[in-house]
Amino acid sequence: MATIQYDLNADTQGCGGTPVTTNIPLELHVCMGLNACKGHDRFGTNNCAGTGQCATAEAHVCHTLNNCRGQGGCGLYGSAEEQDLPGQNECAWQGSCAVPIQAERFSTLGNNMGRSTWLLARKLFEERMAKAQRNVGEAPFKCGPPQKWLESQKGGFAACGNSGDMVCSFGFNNKEDDGKILCKGDSVLDDE
Amino acid sequence: MQKNKAFQPDFKLTPGTLGEAIQQAIEIEIATIPVYLYTYYSINRTPNQQQIITDVSAALVKQGKPEAEAKKEAEEISASIMVFANKAGALIMSVAIEEMLHMALSSNLKQSLVGLPELVGKTPKTWPAYLPGHEPEFPINKGRLSLPQLMTFLEIESPSPLPDKTKLLKAIPYKTIGQFYDMIVQYIEHNELAYNKDAPQLIPGKGYYAQNNVDTIFYDKHHKPHLVNDADSGDLVLVEDRASALKAIHIIVEQGEGNQDAPGLNPDYTVNCSISPADYDDPAMKEFSHFEKFSRIYCHYDFLTKKFAGFGMEEKQFAGYFVQNVALNPVTADYPANIQTLSNLLNAIYTYIFVMSEGCYKKAGHTQYEIFMFGIHKSMIFILNSLCGDIMQQTYTDKKDGLTYKAAPTFEDYAFDPASSPKSQLIALHAEVVKVFPGEAYLGQRFQDLPDVAL
Repeated sequence: MATIQYDLNADTQGCGGTPVTTNIPLELHVCMGLNACKGHDRFGTNNCAGTGQCATAEAHVCHTLNNCRGQGGCGLYGSAEEQDLPGQNECAWQGSCAVPIQAERFSTLGNNMGRSTWLLARKLFEERMAKAQRNVGEAPFKCGPPQKWLESQKGGFAACGNSGDMVCSFGFNNKEDDGKILCKGDSVLDDE
Repeated sequence: MQKNKAFQPDFKLTPGTLGEAIQQAIEIEIATIPVYLYTYYSINRTPNQQQIITDVSAALVKQGKPEAEAKKEAEEISASIMVFANKAGALIMSVAIEEMLHMALSSNLKQSLVGLPELVGKTPKTWPAYLPGHEPEFPINKGRLSLPQLMTFLEIESPSPLPDKTKLLKAIPYKTIGQFYDMIVQYIEHNELAYNKDAPQLIPGKGYYAQNNVDTIFYDKHHKPHLVNDADSGDLVLVEDRASALKAIHIIVEQGEGNQDAPGLNPDYTVNCSISPADYDDPAMKEFSHFEKFSRIYCHYDFLTKKFAGFGMEEKQFAGYFVQNVALNPVTADYPANIQTLSNLLNAIYTYIFVMSEGCYKKAGHTQYEIFMFGIHKSMIFILNSLCGDIMQQTYTDKKDGLTYKAAPTFEDYAFDPASSPKSQLIALHAEVVKVFPGEAYLGQRFQDLPDVAL
């Protein structure tokens, strides 16, 4: 298991910034609410499984940039098979998208197409915890970290792609509503 | 243009000429890739909406509209530009992705029936370029998004022979890409051929090909996302017998031109803007063919141009909201020395994608998987895309016309020195770039991570 060299300087804390320093080996996971153990989030302060604030895996912006097994985000690039397994890739560079996974991200292929990537990651995580007979607490945000919240964190947030901001309005929608459909578990896609 | 023997009246497909014909098919697919990518990167998919609102409001007020009414109408129009720019980008990228699929499908065909496909160094070397063997020939430019550029795209993907622009009484032997493939189909259907089932091919089920990604998304007026490729529109095919060979060709032709009876350009060389079932490339009618995707962009662009003309705005100003000021057919040599370093690196990684693609036909199993997933995917989606964005931050004055342009990816084949590995040369080129543009250091590890594939 890899050990993150945390930085004690609180100013650098944030989902996109350098994690706090600890000498305890941590399980590396890709987002808020996906930690298996106490103290295994980016700040080292969470109380129990599923309640962590941020990823312990290295933040990255795109497909194929994850360091190792289970450290890839998911949702916007990659094959259907990859997109069905957020945070559960088998090896380095097999993740299909950025870490962390913002609440507004959805799958572009696979069984989860059009639906929340974070909710799928959380479902898979809860299934794993059930198998391990562990209780899971609520995530700080029930549908994953909103993009705006991630951007407000030290270190900010970035993900690749050219099609524009996933949280946006051209003046005819409430951009705060963008994540609500996903949060309900519905698809955001319409058939053209 | 050098005529292709496959289009000459006396050409006959034989076991001896089959390889030449399929290689020609591969090169047709490759020739389209830099053209579509160049136009794609000329699009600003996220225009400055507030600027459009301000300009259109002012134009409407000037025409006598009350300010509040003008602002409301300007907001509507600005949203239509926001949607159009992003949709045009999504549609063109979706076609570019499928052209790469077609390159792989035709390469599978060659690998099975003849032998190793040749993919390196096949990008057109002079521009305007011409589709290998297409008659009549027509010029193809690396150009920014515009109606003439879209017309070229329609000519490339036309499902029917191009109308006679010259009005000559003498018949010209028009051809389409579909007819070219049909010649190969006829040969496969009527001959007992040996299919090599052991040579490596790019096969389905490995995650090599993904129909959609974040770049094939566009958002509608209410910022609801839409994907422009259907998940079931086509995939890689292992060519191992007659049926699979025909299936591979069928995907190429259907995705490009739609159903056989799809209408092409009108006889007067205008675009038919209506939609018919034949314009789709799948039975479920969820995905337009390439020809129809380009028709949709053309017709929408034309509509918006006329709308803006009504506000007293010229096409140049309207296009300026979402089309970047890039030159026609630029080459690296046009750029000043500092930008040349960046352009050389970009061309080297572009070329290395073809080196790796060819490498996938020399290696099977895990090695092939690593080349494709860690090499081609990382290069295409992250490294090349990042460099395209970075080079377009630079401007230069073109010596030929004295005008200032944004630098753009030139998509030229880079001449790797056979004395050392292409990967080592990529790393060296990146080091040179970092000396000029220190901000490019972020890509360093990504070059180190690439698989080492020989020429």
